[in-house]
Amino acid sequence: MRPRTYYLPWITRPGLDCALVLSNVEARFKPELSAGPIPVTVVQYDARGKAARQYEVTLVDSTDTVEMPLTPAAGGCGFATVRGEGLHSDLYVTLSDGHDYTATHGREEFIEGYPGLIRLLLSSAGAVMSVLGRTLPIFTRNQYVYLGPESRSHVLLMNLSNVTNRIRAVASTGKRRIGSRLLRLPPMGAHLLDVGSLGPPPSSSTAVWRLKLEGNAWFNLYMVGAGSKDLAGPLSLMHVK
Amino acid sequence: MSNSLSALMSATFYERGYDHHVEVIHQRDAEARRRLESLEVTLYDGAGALLATPKVDPAQDILDLGGLVTAATRASERVMVVLDARYDEAIFPYRPHHYAYLHRAGSAAPPLYYAINAVLGGVPDRVGATNINNFETYLFRRGPFAQRYSLLLGCLARFVPVTAQVFTYYGSRRIAHEVTLEPKCHTEIVLAAEDAGERLSRVEVKSLFRLLSYVVGRREDTDDFVLFDHLFTYAK
Repeated sequence: MRPRTYYLPWITRPGLDCALVLSNVEARFKPELSAGPIPVTVVQYDARGKAARQYEVTLVDSTDTVEMPLTPAAGGCGFATVRGEGLHSDLYVTLSDGHDYTATHGREEFIEGYPGLIRLLLSSAGAVMSVLGRTLPIFTRNQYVYLGPESRSHVLLMNLSNVTNRIRAVASTGKRRIGSRLLRLPPMGAHLLDVGSLGPPPSSSTAVWRLKLEGNAWFNLYMVGAGSKDLAGPLSLMHVK
Repeated sequence: MSNSLSALMSATFYERGYDHHVEVIHQRDAEARRRLESLEVTLYDGAGALLATPKVDPAQDILDLGGLVTAATRASERVMVVLDARYDEAIFPYRPHHYAYLHRAGSAAPPLYYAINAVLGGVPDRVGATNINNFETYLFRRGPFAQRYSLLLGCLARFVPVTAQVFTYYGSRRIAHEVTLEPKCHTEIVLAAEDAGERLSRVEVKSLFRLLSYVVGRREDTDDFVLFDHLFTYAK
């Protein structure tokens, strides 16, 4: 099962607020979609994959905009799903330290629902493979990550499935392997991967590493930009295809 | 060049002082099998003058725009960087994108990562654009935040100027601006964060032909980018 799902990532930190910007403005020229009110349901999943909070808001019409702050939840990161009859616009997620804000948008993709027997098989095979530091490489993504003395890009991984997802991250540059980690994400869970944990960062100019991510189930990622204070400072969230 | 290849014309802006790295192929596989057939880079100043056509290797992973622009020009103002690529659809399961990483040296602001604007061009029936993409919109948080907003617009047309209407919204009030860009010209249009006590909530760009367009936000105190993103289709 692959029900269409619109989702956005979220991150909260002390001094860093996360808010969604909800609207249906891209549908304003479609008469069947532009009228309101448009009830919208947001479910915020925490890093453990628990539905930590549910928010109900109403858009008066297609040009109405609602800013919805997200409450901190377990793990300090995760994703939120958004559902609304006739909702057909890109939605924004913003991070702010109170001074300024950064923003990106969500994605309309799907949550993968595996039947019971498949879940059992994936769980058993994944457990065996994890002993060897590996996973079942059913989904693979390649992503560049950046590490400099003043900035870097971390990766927020989101398990968009109903099975435990063991995701193996391998960093390399050229033909040289830098390091790897095997992560275990619960169903609908998330993990903020600190790219510095994969190997020693360079001391001078910005380095670009290749990150290969393999998981035993459907997952996706957002880039997380961090400045000189790393994860303790202001952050940006950045969408990828 | 073979006309059987697909075209991807993208463009961005480079400003001095920024670490600005362009991924020639986003999500290049580890074996680097996915590569462009060709990549031509051209640089233009704001008045549309051709500054340089630096040679680049389409097989490389990352294009360092700072190094490229500095080596090719003496321009101190903003430069429009046009990336004209050809690719084989048999190699790419979807239309490739260039992505970029952006951070100003010495800035405490976080780096930004963005999809470089695809501005079409090349082979019209192979560009894969299914939505209207010359009516665009972007929403802003109502703040108050200590940042300034603007649009960076560029015209990639070859022969004719393009006129765009820019609408900014403050509460229920709409303010219209008009801008005409000659071929290869580019400009920054400042969007007032507030008008008559109302905060900027939305901007729209409408033009007859597709423009290169980014919405940007800069910190008021340091001018560093905190937003650098594409706008969104107006009618999805």
